[in-house]
Amino acid sequence: MKDRISALMDGELAEGEVDAPIGALRQGGEALETWRCYHLITDSLKENPMLSSGFSARFAERLAKEPTILAPAAIPPRAKKSRTWIPLSAAASITAVAVVGSMAPQFFDSQVQTVAGRAPERAKPAVVTVVPMPGAVNDYLLAHQNYSPRSTLQGVAPYVRTVSDSARPR
Amino acid sequence: MRVLAFLLMLAPGLAFSQPQLQPQQDAAAWLKRIYQASQKLSYSGTFVYRQGDRSESSRITRIVDARTDTEKLEALDGVRREIVRNGDEVKCYLPDIKVVKVDRRSKHPTFPALLPAQNAALSEQYVVSKEETARIAGFDCQAISLKPKDEYRYGYKLWADISTGMLLKARIVNERGEAVEEFTFTQLNIGGNIDKEAVKSSFSGESRQWRVENAGVVKADLARSGWTVNAGIPGFHKVVEINRQLGHSQKVSQIVYSDGLAAVSVFIEPIELRQEPVRKGLSSMGAVNIYTRELANHVVTVVGEAPAKTVQQIGDTVEYRPK
Repeated sequence: MKDRISALMDGELAEGEVDAPIGALRQGGEALETWRCYHLITDSLKENPMLSSGFSARFAERLAKEPTILAPAAIPPRAKKSRTWIPLSAAASITAVAVVGSMAPQFFDSQVQTVAGRAPERAKPAVVTVVPMPGAVNDYLLAHQNYSPRSTLQGVAPYVRTVSDSARPR
Repeated sequence: MRVLAFLLMLAPGLAFSQPQLQPQQDAAAWLKRIYQASQKLSYSGTFVYRQGDRSESSRITRIVDARTDTEKLEALDGVRREIVRNGDEVKCYLPDIKVVKVDRRSKHPTFPALLPAQNAALSEQYVVSKEETARIAGFDCQAISLKPKDEYRYGYKLWADISTGMLLKARIVNERGEAVEEFTFTQLNIGGNIDKEAVKSSFSGESRQWRVENAGVVKADLARSGWTVNAGIPGFHKVVEINRQLGHSQKVSQIVYSDGLAAVSVFIEPIELRQEPVRKGLSSMGAVNIYTRELANHVVTVVGEAPAKTVQQIGDTVEYRPK
């Protein structure tokens, strides 16, 4: 009988040969013990994880308690993850470049673009929006220049650092 | 160190002797020569200011004698504007909007090469070295480079006339070695008889009818009113702290930080006195970066000839804790 049980496990029995070993297993006893022993051997050979003791009993109990669903609801399809995301800093720099592009071109040359283009590399400081110069930029520059060491070194020359066009009447 | 101190002592004497006979002259002594030339020399010339695609010519005239120290800058391109400095008083004439802005320049010299102790502080932030010689606007010049030791400041390259120390060219470079700004004389006359009319504003007569915006600078203590700045950037120290008028705004505070070469100003003004909308963020023009933010119903504007990182970091550490 043992070789029949082994053949049954391996699916090697013909259709007509199955009834006898299954009948023996139903009787329990030595046949069922052999069945369990062979499964244990197979599991350990295949390194299948062992189930905790009494698993079969607990599984049977919970299965019995499950309500019978006559009309199972369709499982909603899983929300598709967007694959078109852009790293935040890159998005910000695109915005910055867009801002630069829309600005009055006379004061904003390649320097501003450089600041925007560098944003993704700089992980540490928060991403800053590139904005046009304040309207009162010349007031700030003049006030600043008075205390810059450069003015001591170069006389009034650094005062040329004013935005010439914003001095126009507005 | 002793050699450096000796050279610094020697430098004033060298200024008008024959320094070309001293090929090993220290780069730091050259900085001192440039400073002394800027204090003593009378000159008139034309220089070009270049940043990005922008390039502008200006005429500059300076007369120094026992009684006067007057300087005039006249923009030759773009909108007409003139800046006249008479002693510590600085006047900016804007004929198109009929405005004269009157301000005061810092009384104490802010250039550090004056004192050996400050010179040492400068060499903590920059590697100062003597570079090649070059011919600029007809003058044989010595190049001096100041390379920053960290990314909080720009690098500088200065070209000074070998025989007088006059600064003929100045370039500011970013961390990639690209020039962000450059001043170059294209024509220069040093000394000689310069007509005193040349340092007077060509608008001195008609400007009597113009609107005058006086900065009205008074010393201030911002910490007492709850404002603190703690950027912790190596080498940057507070130079001055004032209250002033700025354009239309009556009540603006200004704190200036400097590492000896670069300077950063922090302006703090009440938001309700602000005439234009606040655009928070960073803007840039040549070597100058401007960072704007709002804090406790005030606008904080940081202006400096320093990398964006420095200007932003100083701006972000401004705090207000009312007492």
